[in-house]
Amino acid sequence: MAQTHELKFENPSFGKRIRGMLGVDFYRLFHTPMFYIFLAIAAIIPAMIVSMTGMTGSDGAVTQPLYTNVWNIVAADSPLYIVHNIGEYANMNMVFIFGGIMVSIFIGHDYRSGYVKQLFTTHAKKRDYMISKSLVSAFSMACMCVTYLIGGVVGGMVAGLSFEVNVGSLLIAILGKMVMSLGWASLYTFLNVIFRRYFGISVAASFFIGTGIPIIGAAAIIGNNSLLNVFLYGSSVYACLSSNLVTMLVCVVVSMAWTVIYNLLGSLVLSRCDVY
Amino acid sequence: MNAIEIRGLTKNFGSKQALKGLNMTVPAGAIYGFIGENGSGKSTTEKLICGLMPSDGGTIKLYGKDYTDPDVRAKIGVLIEAPGCFPNMSVWGNMMLQAANLGLKKPEEEIGKVLKLVRMEGAASNKFKNCSLGMKQRIGIAMALLGDPALLVLDEPINGLDADGMRIMREVLVDITRDKNRTVLISSHILGELEKIATHYGIVRQGKMLCEMTAAELEAGCRTYISLTSSQNSRAKALLSCKYSRVEEDESEHIRVYDQAKPEEIVTYLYENGITVSEISTEKIGLEEYYIDLMKERRA
Repeated sequence: MAQTHELKFENPSFGKRIRGMLGVDFYRLFHTPMFYIFLAIAAIIPAMIVSMTGMTGSDGAVTQPLYTNVWNIVAADSPLYIVHNIGEYANMNMVFIFGGIMVSIFIGHDYRSGYVKQLFTTHAKKRDYMISKSLVSAFSMACMCVTYLIGGVVGGMVAGLSFEVNVGSLLIAILGKMVMSLGWASLYTFLNVIFRRYFGISVAASFFIGTGIPIIGAAAIIGNNSLLNVFLYGSSVYACLSSNLVTMLVCVVVSMAWTVIYNLLGSLVLSRCDVY
Repeated sequence: MNAIEIRGLTKNFGSKQALKGLNMTVPAGAIYGFIGENGSGKSTTEKLICGLMPSDGGTIKLYGKDYTDPDVRAKIGVLIEAPGCFPNMSVWGNMMLQAANLGLKKPEEEIGKVLKLVRMEGAASNKFKNCSLGMKQRIGIAMALLGDPALLVLDEPINGLDADGMRIMREVLVDITRDKNRTVLISSHILGELEKIATHYGIVRQGKMLCEMTAAELEAGCRTYISLTSSQNSRAKALLSCKYSRVEEDESEHIRVYDQAKPEEIVTYLYENGITVSEISTEKIGLEEYYIDLMKERRA
């Protein structure tokens, strides 16, 4: 059969491919109510924890406040991998639990709607998908860190807690946790790629890993060891109110290393298994 | 140049072998009707061509290039089963997402064009979940047409369409291959519809290609038969069965004589036995019957 027009093949550059995919993912993120709900949850939870734990109960008794300093809702005073009380546990790391659930729902929609089928039949590469999802998910978690901070500060003001802090360490702790968002987002994207056919398991796995229970468990056995810093949860805990530039460096290196590992593994899974 | 060239394609799902060394050649510009029973390997082949699953062996070449090359993938439009759209998003919104994924320079213009082509321009603002099955299939075709693809892979695109929907789909497919010389690989169980548009056929069974042929070859290879009605059909059938080896009666109570018989011979023979033929004609078996016969032969 005669060809009436010449076929021209163009190899779309990585930049072109990723721009399109990021555009789609950010569009979806900003147009899904779930994103704003999770931002609100990230703000409300710390505000409630800080403002309600020192309130007077119906029997007239004042409960013991969890914190005396408002910044403890952001990070612990020192890196504690073994949790002794809920106050040490309830800090900005909770964002990684909320983020895990949100990322699972976000990526789960790709599979449930059949959108991945539409996507992977174009020039999109599996690697591009992992990168795009990781970046968008990291962005959403970093946004949650911001609303978490706002919620915690407002709650602290209501509770009348102390605001005394080493500003440099506080900034490093906050930035360190925001940097860690990328590593966490890559992990959640990887988990969702593995459990792509099982939405419930994806959410449960993200929640379980996000709580840091495996690292807390390991710490209970090996003690408060700095070796745990090489893990995502360990490094997230390491970003505390006594942080310094080394802490920041550790967070950047760990986050990048896990991002690369999970992206490579995710791409491998997607290219070796049935996408849809 | 061949749009699709598959050699020795294999795919296993656990212990089940879905494709057993399938070979397939789809010439550029063809409307290739891909036919087979349920579970014969049609959808698996199409998913492999589209890169939705990895093969276990064999090669797939699209326009002479490996099917995983991004440059050749950018030239493929796909509708597998149903379009993958976000249900709470509008039709237009879903189309915009696909346009962004494809990196189209003028997305609004292109979306408007393809929606018009499938007669869906009025439904652009509808939420995808509120569209009927037929509308969704047409939206799927429109999505597949975004980016001016050279090859369209369509899996059961006319499923669930009403008569009008089927007609529109048929016109669209013929238009896009005629005007732009696109290649279409289409699988369907509605063989009557396929017969109206396909230029080439491939019949697959149990993971292997049984035969490939052009529409002209099918036409030439199809057996003819004589269809008749008479004053006493059952007696006529009994008489004809004594003389000819294959005589059947169809649903519309016409007697079919499949042997190389001549109408005048049959009329004379029945007349000599006191039966008057009221209607007689020479017919060709269609794609559906050809396919059913072929499957019967293979099973036997």
